[in-house]
Amino acid sequence: MVASELTRLVDTAAFGPLPLLWLIPALPLAAAMLNLFAGARLGRAAGWLGTAAVGASFVISLTVVNQLMGVAAEERLYVQHLFDWIDVGSFKVGVDLRLDAISATMILVVTGIGSLIHLYSIGYMRGDPRFGRFFAYLNLFVFFMLMLVLGQNYLLLYLGWEGVGLCSYLLIGFWFDQVANVEAAKKAFITTRIGDSAMMIGLALIVLRFGTLDFDAVFGAAAGTLTGGAATAISLLLFAGAIGKSAQVPLHVWLPDAMAGPTPVSALIHAATMVTAGVYLVVRSAPLFELSPVALDVVAWVGLITVLFAGTCALAQVDIKRVLAYSTISQLGYMFLAAGMGAYHAAMFFLVAHSFYKALLFLGAGSVIHGMQGEQDMRHMGGLARRMPITALTMTLAAFSLAGFPLLAGYFAKDIVLEIANTNERWGFYVFGSVGAVFSALYIGRMLFLTFAGRTRSEAAEHAHESGPILWGPLVILAVGAAGGGLLSSNPEGLIARFLEPVVGLVPEGTAGLAEPAFVAVAVVISVVGLGVAWWVWGSGRVDWLAVRDRLEPLPRTMMAGWCVDRGYDLLVVQPGKALSRIVAFVVDAKIIDGAVNAVGTGVQRAAQAGRLLQSGFVRAYALAVFVGAVGVLTYVGLRA
Amino acid sequence: MRTPVAYFLLLSGILFALGTVGVLTRRNALLIFMSVELQLNAVNLSLVSFSRMHADLTGQVLAFFSMVVAAAEVVVGLAIIVALFRRRSSIDVDDARELRW
Repeated sequence: MVASELTRLVDTAAFGPLPLLWLIPALPLAAAMLNLFAGARLGRAAGWLGTAAVGASFVISLTVVNQLMGVAAEERLYVQHLFDWIDVGSFKVGVDLRLDAISATMILVVTGIGSLIHLYSIGYMRGDPRFGRFFAYLNLFVFFMLMLVLGQNYLLLYLGWEGVGLCSYLLIGFWFDQVANVEAAKKAFITTRIGDSAMMIGLALIVLRFGTLDFDAVFGAAAGTLTGGAATAISLLLFAGAIGKSAQVPLHVWLPDAMAGPTPVSALIHAATMVTAGVYLVVRSAPLFELSPVALDVVAWVGLITVLFAGTCALAQVDIKRVLAYSTISQLGYMFLAAGMGAYHAAMFFLVAHSFYKALLFLGAGSVIHGMQGEQDMRHMGGLARRMPITALTMTLAAFSLAGFPLLAGYFAKDIVLEIANTNERWGFYVFGSVGAVFSALYIGRMLFLTFAGRTRSEAAEHAHESGPILWGPLVILAVGAAGGGLLSSNPEGLIARFLEPVVGLVPEGTAGLAEPAFVAVAVVISVVGLGVAWWVWGSGRVDWLAVRDRLEPLPRTMMAGWCVDRGYDLLVVQPGKALSRIVAFVVDAKIIDGAVNAVGTGVQRAAQAGRLLQSGFVRAYALAVFVGAVGVLTYVGLRA
Repeated sequence: MRTPVAYFLLLSGILFALGTVGVLTRRNALLIFMSVELQLNAVNLSLVSFSRMHADLTGQVLAFFSMVVAAAEVVVGLAIIVALFRRRSSIDVDDARELRW
């Protein structure tokens, strides 16, 4: 259900701040370059420079979006042509920035939450010997992310897509003196690359079919050009890229390991922005997905499976950041579930709300880790609420929001997705989505209460202290969003939905399943009871949960290992791959290829050894050879004549 | 009465064969050198014969050229032989076989 084409807002853009659009990605890029080359000399100023650049981008984004909001809904599209990039025959790609409702939402999230996380990083990364380098990478990431969401064609999107992947790699492995970090970075890069390769094939198919990568041209011609099979193929290939980038089953394995990076990185890249690029891609490509019901079903089912799968994994983690990592995977599943049902505005709203409370949870976790002198194991925490009151309070808000506690942002986000699923046609999505919500409430409650409630369980926890204002300041601001984000869209006709409606259309109707009051009651009960049970088991001290955990072995250990998917991949993919590499390296390369090359060499050498014996040094022998040769040639010529 | 050209050519062939055999069998560099001269003169003889046969002076002119070149070649060749003798007190070509494998 995609809305009609928007008219471009070109004439009205001559005045007002819209022509400044290019500055939004340019500022972080400039700061990145400065920090890259002069970061070491700037010292702490590097951090402020990076933060200021992203902050300025946020301000420009606000003014630009404000102007966009000022025009009629059907005219909310502004395309800024910067320069031609590729111009080969009939194939043209320009560096064009596109501002419409979707990219407006995305740039606000990226620059808004991004600048808060930059600010936080100044405190978190203080004293790091490569402080300037960190901000260079972070700024570069913001630049690529903005190019990803602002690009007017698939190639720019892909440029940003690979760029954020690169920055993700660099930042996960930021502390590369530890082997585990490097391996996590490598894993993230290679795993997402699997999806990216599929996506690139998808883009090639688009070029093949449409002869262009421009969004307007492709979407305008899509319905007339694509048959069902081609639409399904292109959509699924694009979605494969989204699966990799957004860590959906089965390519989710990199995200938990990516927690090896510094915590602000986890907050910015692996919670708020980069991992949502997959959702953005699906929403942006909605006109293609809409042509293929099969592809949409696949999107929804992958999302749903991910919700349940990652939800169970999160329940058994002991590392506070890994809980959040699996939680992110699970929440991203909801976004794909929404997109797969054709409810793109719900996916976008979920994305916005999620980036608030998940960024807050990560930054809060960073504050806890900071206070605990680097300890990440929740079994060694406990009772931190009294020692870190601001962190505890803001994280409680975020956790309750994620659990879907009534009236917080997460409640409305989940509510809209489930409400759309709440039809007779899609009851499976509703039931399993609700089960996923139970998991969410349980695991996030568990994380919250294990960390902040009960008795302290270690020396470090005894001496934990609240972090400085530069760390808790961003937490407080994000807490406002995590709590009040629901105001943006408290129902399907809410602000974001109305804002996005001209671009993505509205959800197809279905016959309602549960009646409204029953539906709300179920949602409230799930979150409240889930959090309550979590409190009773892990917070109240009345249950010896460690003993329970031991009694349930090996289930908790399996869940903690992510249902051993990693080991499965190791057996099915990595080991055969390594074996193949060994064969290629030590047999095909060393024996066959090198052998052939060496054989040519030794063959020539042998021939020369044999041939040089002809050089006897006897002048008369040479003379005889000349004579015989001359006679031979003359005979030949004579016989031929 | 003119002697038929075939006699000259036959003589030329015999001289050339003698020269060739001399080059191939002699070990003394001077004698090899003389044999080479014999071959050259055999060829000159055939050139002149053909010139006469075709009543075309080109062959005779070529014979003169060949003699001039041969003279120059004698100078260089004898110089080499003298140098060889000074160095090794021998002009046996089978002794001078350093340039081999």
